[in-house]
Amino acid sequence: MEVLSNKGGDHIFKIENVAVHLNGKYLIHDVSFTVPKGQITAVIGESGSGKSTTLSALLGMLPAQAVMEGSILFNERNLMELSEQERAGLRKKHFFTIFQDATNSFSPTLKIKQQLYRLTASRLGQKEEAFLGKITAILKDLNLPEDVLNRYPFELSGGMLQRCMLACAFYNEPDVLMADEPTSALDMLHQQEFIKLLKNLHARLGATIILITHDLGVAAIADSMIVMKNGEIVEAGQVAEIFKEPKHPYTKRLVANHF
Amino acid sequence: MRTQRKYPLFWIVLLALIFTTTIFSSLLAPFEPNAMDMNQIYKAPNATHLLGTDQLGRDVLSRLLVGGKVTLFIAIISVVLSSIIGIIYGGISGYFGGAIDAVMMRILEAFLTIPSLVIVLALQAIMQGSVWRMAMIMGVTGWFVTARIVRSEFIRLKELEFVQMAKMFRTPLWKILFGHLLRNCIPAIFVVTIFNFAGAIFTEVSLSFLGIGVPPATPSWGTMLYTAQNDLLVGAWWMGLFPGLFIFVTILCVQVIGGTFKQGGRSHI
Repeated sequence: MEVLSNKGGDHIFKIENVAVHLNGKYLIHDVSFTVPKGQITAVIGESGSGKSTTLSALLGMLPAQAVMEGSILFNERNLMELSEQERAGLRKKHFFTIFQDATNSFSPTLKIKQQLYRLTASRLGQKEEAFLGKITAILKDLNLPEDVLNRYPFELSGGMLQRCMLACAFYNEPDVLMADEPTSALDMLHQQEFIKLLKNLHARLGATIILITHDLGVAAIADSMIVMKNGEIVEAGQVAEIFKEPKHPYTKRLVANHF
Repeated sequence: MRTQRKYPLFWIVLLALIFTTTIFSSLLAPFEPNAMDMNQIYKAPNATHLLGTDQLGRDVLSRLLVGGKVTLFIAIISVVLSSIIGIIYGGISGYFGGAIDAVMMRILEAFLTIPSLVIVLALQAIMQGSVWRMAMIMGVTGWFVTARIVRSEFIRLKELEFVQMAKMFRTPLWKILFGHLLRNCIPAIFVVTIFNFAGAIFTEVSLSFLGIGVPPATPSWGTMLYTAQNDLLVGAWWMGLFPGLFIFVTILCVQVIGGTFKQGGRSHI
């Protein structure tokens, strides 16, 4: 596919002057940043800062009434110029998204096996036998017992369900993994475990990861970082540098509170 | 985690017993339900006629079993119809939301301000007729609660991540509606349908008791209570007691079963 070819540049996403407004009110404005290929980019900010809206814009999943300005280039191709069908194709084959609430990411009345199949193999057009072999190995890697496949979501903990989502990411090997507050619904122990697995995934697949979080501890695993406040980017740069020497007062406060 | 649901086994068995005896009533009834015997008028319960006979010498037990078939048939048909209407109406309202939802809900509220029994009464009075027609009338007037519940479930479910994810991958609308939304409403629909069923039995009985339900010649639990009004005056207590008991026990069974599912359902939803 044409979109796949990475014509020059080491960035996979290039976001330029993106603004989104809904009913006359700006949700985000003047948002420009690049997402380096094969790296982890963290987007930090409190709720309402516009980080989830930015993610929705990248996915092309903004609410129907919202108006977007600016341009988003994915592998040098402007997402705004794609048809809805082409965008759905991108979401199916090249992206994978993990949401905050793993419990609600699964339909309550379907067994995990069927849901994981729908999220992975059926999208890639693979048969069920091939799926079972591969997913079983992945589940084992993620410390999930094999019998989760025959369970219903309500029988599993939030941490287990989030790991099931991660299993889909391992299976699909997406070009970009987007994780929207993936650890916020988990307890401390599960958070650390999840982060470890996420790093593991990054090391193994070399996928580009966009990690949205309000927790600096989680953002520490990223290479670069974008700090958002009130719909604007207030600071961007390498994580190590920002942690060492924050420039914007808001980032200073965040970093001071973290350490 | 899963909470073990206690099945109300006793009530399920009792209800199943009532259902099977009424379904096979033509085989099980000791007498032909409309066979008159002028020598056996108003006999109190005895060895031959276990629940006594009526003013025409007909066997009360046989008529109760056959009448149960009519009552339960009306209740089932009306509940199936009202559930279908309620699911479609509530589903459209809840899924599409916005102006469609607002208009549909105001219409529904207008209906809800009038007790449905009154609407049924009016419709029955205009087009009184067969058992089928009565079931239809009860069906088209009994879907309000189902519609509201389906609507609120759809509104809750459509915002959840798994539905959003399905939309993200351009899952066809019908798959989202049936496979994701309706499928997850079934526990709630099941519970409200059970209670609607109990309500439908009660409506048939009430209407027939008022003389505008099932045509009087057709035995049903309601028409039997209707004729019992006169029979009680001549001291034939069994004419009122036994139909009343059957109605009471059936509705009780349905309510208890519905209640258990209502509680059990919470841990799932």
